[in-house]
Amino acid sequence: MFFPKAMSELELIVPSKDLLGVMKVISGHGVFHQTDSNYPQLNAAGGAPNTWQERAAAYSALERRVQAVMQALGIEEGRPPSTDFRDVVEMEAVTPTLERIEGEVKATTDQLADSQRRTDEIQSTLRQLEPVAGIELDLAALRKSHFMISMLGLMPAANVGRLQTSLARVPHAFLILRQDSQKPVVWLAGTQSNADVIERAARSAYLEPLTLPDSHEGTPNQIIDSLNRELGDLRQRVEQLKARLAELTRTDREELLTLLWEIHASRTLTEAIVRFGQLRHTYVMVGWVPTDELETLTRRVKQASRETLIETIPTSRHGDNRNIPVALQNSRLLRPFQMLVTTYARPRYGELDPTWLIALTFPLLFGAMFGDVGHGLVLTIFGLLISSGKVKQLKSLASLGLLITICGISATIFGFLYGSFFGFEHAIPTLWIKPSDDPLTILGIAVGAGVVLLTLGFLIGIFNAVVSRDWPHLIFGHNGIAGFLLYWSALTAIAGSAKFIPLPPQPSIILAGVAAFMIMFADFFIRLMEGDRPLIEGGIFVFLFQGFMELFEAVLTFLSNTLSYIRVGAFAIAHGVLSVVMFLLAGLLDPHLGILYWLVVGVGTVIIVGFEGLIVGIQVMRLSYYEFFSKFFTGGGMRFEPLTLAPTKEQS
Amino acid sequence: MAGGVSGYAAVNARVRVMYSYLLSAEDLTRLSQAPDLVSLVGALRQTAYGSYLDGLREQELTPEAIIFQVKRRLADVYQSVINAAPPHTRSLFLQLYRYYEINNLKAILRGIVTGPERNTEESLWDRVRPVLFPYGAMSVLPAQAMVESGSVASAVELLHGTPYYDVLAFAMKRYSAEQSLFPLEVALDLDYWRKLWAEARKLLGQDQGPATRIVGSLLDLNNIMWAIRYRVYQGLSEEETINYTLPFGYHVSDEDIRAIAAGADISAIVSRLYPEIPDAAALLEDPKRGLPVLEHRVKRYLMQQCLAAFVGNPFQVGVPLAFLVLIDLEVQDLTVLIEAKFTHVPVEDFRNFLLRTPEAA
Repeated sequence: MFFPKAMSELELIVPSKDLLGVMKVISGHGVFHQTDSNYPQLNAAGGAPNTWQERAAAYSALERRVQAVMQALGIEEGRPPSTDFRDVVEMEAVTPTLERIEGEVKATTDQLADSQRRTDEIQSTLRQLEPVAGIELDLAALRKSHFMISMLGLMPAANVGRLQTSLARVPHAFLILRQDSQKPVVWLAGTQSNADVIERAARSAYLEPLTLPDSHEGTPNQIIDSLNRELGDLRQRVEQLKARLAELTRTDREELLTLLWEIHASRTLTEAIVRFGQLRHTYVMVGWVPTDELETLTRRVKQASRETLIETIPTSRHGDNRNIPVALQNSRLLRPFQMLVTTYARPRYGELDPTWLIALTFPLLFGAMFGDVGHGLVLTIFGLLISSGKVKQLKSLASLGLLITICGISATIFGFLYGSFFGFEHAIPTLWIKPSDDPLTILGIAVGAGVVLLTLGFLIGIFNAVVSRDWPHLIFGHNGIAGFLLYWSALTAIAGSAKFIPLPPQPSIILAGVAAFMIMFADFFIRLMEGDRPLIEGGIFVFLFQGFMELFEAVLTFLSNTLSYIRVGAFAIAHGVLSVVMFLLAGLLDPHLGILYWLVVGVGTVIIVGFEGLIVGIQVMRLSYYEFFSKFFTGGGMRFEPLTLAPTKEQS
Repeated sequence: MAGGVSGYAAVNARVRVMYSYLLSAEDLTRLSQAPDLVSLVGALRQTAYGSYLDGLREQELTPEAIIFQVKRRLADVYQSVINAAPPHTRSLFLQLYRYYEINNLKAILRGIVTGPERNTEESLWDRVRPVLFPYGAMSVLPAQAMVESGSVASAVELLHGTPYYDVLAFAMKRYSAEQSLFPLEVALDLDYWRKLWAEARKLLGQDQGPATRIVGSLLDLNNIMWAIRYRVYQGLSEEETINYTLPFGYHVSDEDIRAIAAGADISAIVSRLYPEIPDAAALLEDPKRGLPVLEHRVKRYLMQQCLAAFVGNPFQVGVPLAFLVLIDLEVQDLTVLIEAKFTHVPVEDFRNFLLRTPEAA
């Protein structure tokens, strides 16, 4: 719970003959995170060509073909079936079935595409013919004339006069077949000897001639009738083809899904094998396994292949462990908070998993900023509704449902403490404090809470440094002992000077001076302890300036981090004030507390719960990420991705 | 109809004040003598453009940035005149102002065709935006969305519901076939001038004369230049030249355009149309070299006509219309000056390209 799962490194040397058997066990168990052990030197020693790579490529191509067929039939891949697919299928066994289904589907989809293309062509021609529908002219006769050029089409009305002017010196006939203020239908004709002039004039006047295929004969209405008949036949044909595809979907669905998962499993296994080291008669498999699963896995591997050599190497949380995959082990209730953490970064193997911490602080801060029994309950119900998955439109937010519910409950509890119910400040008794009545106290409490959280952050940071045995940063780091000392000695010095605590400020000032000195020259001391040379880079003045800037930055960060928590109190006050404004506005619009009054209150409540809730959520995230996490959380851990044919629990 | 004294009182007062801020020939001579671009901007800060240039720091003094600020004043002047104009003339001024929006539209389409610069992180929109006229809230162009749409066809689709969609939708068939912006740009130009002419003709009484004179003179300038360019530079056929020009104007008639299109002597036609330009025939002996000079002379002639509009009855549409043309010509002069100072061209080499000079006055 506090740390990622303990991992052990596992190395297997598997005889070639047992490879598939061992692979079945490993992929079936779903706990082995493979690392690449396919070193060129290793393979050179084996001397045998790696045919697994070719097979993996062939399975991959086959899988794409199955997916293409399924897509054409509209079959969803869905989740892998419960059937045991932990084996590599032979190419020859699956290809004929795939080719048969593929051939049937392709023939049908090709015909469908042809029919649809032809439908589009006809519709395009019909659109062109629509403006000239009522004109009694044999279009084919015009087109076939040897001595005449003629054009039937549309043109901008404004260009008609200019077109006629431009053809004044060329014998021609120009008729407006249908008047239109924007696009009249016109017919332009002339002799073939003047074809180039007429075409140029028509083009430059933006005359848009109809472009009909040669096959169409008769008047526009006759052509339209003939095309409509063809269109009817085509639509019938399309329906038949679609029915045929639906039939294929029904008959071939199960077979295709089986094929897909068999091939998918084969591809996954062969791709994994490609990453194994290959010797002459053996394969080397290296990876990570959760320590609590190690015994079961090794026992099963031994059952599958007695000759397999197994070596396990325990790992440590100390030192550099960035190459160790991280599997987080949090309960279902903590999953939404784990999502918040991993959005920021995945903890490293040796690092404390802050999910449990954020699960405490996030709802607490949210509730404090959004305290209202009514609003909290609305949020809780909304969260439950999202979690239930009953509202289709909210399904994409399902992962946030639990988070919203918990935040809503927290807001409800704080609502009782603040005595606020849907913005009515006197409807229920105040159990603790009313933020809008006592703003200075609530702001002071907020800063105090910030000091507590930052102190907790410092302590966890120090703990992480101890676990990873990073002594230089533990002592001299901003977030190590030096930073902690500076933060608290400065706080006590200020509190002592202002007589908030019965302590003289002098010892704290001396302690703060020591801590400031440690931070200022932290780089020097860290280099000294880590054995890095030179100890001072870029000359003494640059060094001193850098040291001063380090200290300045540290002090500024501590100050801004602490003051940032004022927003918790500020939002608590603003939440109440916003409700007051809503009631004032409603009262102004409808002093008799009629329908309008309650309408404004209703809309105002939706805005408060929706928008303010969102803003408060973002502010809490900000406080968690930038103020709190920055004190102790490094992140950068590698995700644990076990070799499996089904997604892991964490992935799902 | 709110015409006459009461209708024109507000716009006249505004125009008269702004007219007094127009740069005189002497002002332009003084600005020409600025030793460099920084000094020119310093001198311009003492003029009506001052408040627009104050925000520019010395390291931002590029010709593009300065010209953009100068055009901001032009846009403000246009909007001020449009807002104060009598209601029955407002559509004329709005249509006149669309000239700059159409130029923006052309710049956007050219930007899309050219595409983003290679080897640079600058987006296409970053490259197009500085060349656009600061048209302001009156613009109907979704400029950034058009640029980012990636193709001319998608950009035109975004113009649905604007005055440009129908015109461009018709011309798009030719664009698709020819992959040239020429048909789109010609269609936009012809539509603009047709609508502007129609707006001028729509006015009645004492407004129609000045409106058709000024708009017609502008139209003449464009129409005659198009006709000559189509014939001389682009070698278009007679029928194409006719279709790409307009049959109306103030001086220039359809017969003149048709004659140019048919191959008649251009210099004779121009000399007859513009007797005020004595060396027109000589200039057109070599049309390719002489045409820019001729265009410059015709613009000067137009400027004289606009200045003359301020003499006589002030309560008619000619006064604000002439003022808008004058301020546009002033911005053209300033553009020449800014470019010349940036490229260190000596005064004597660019003086002839200025419209408002003591000689011209």
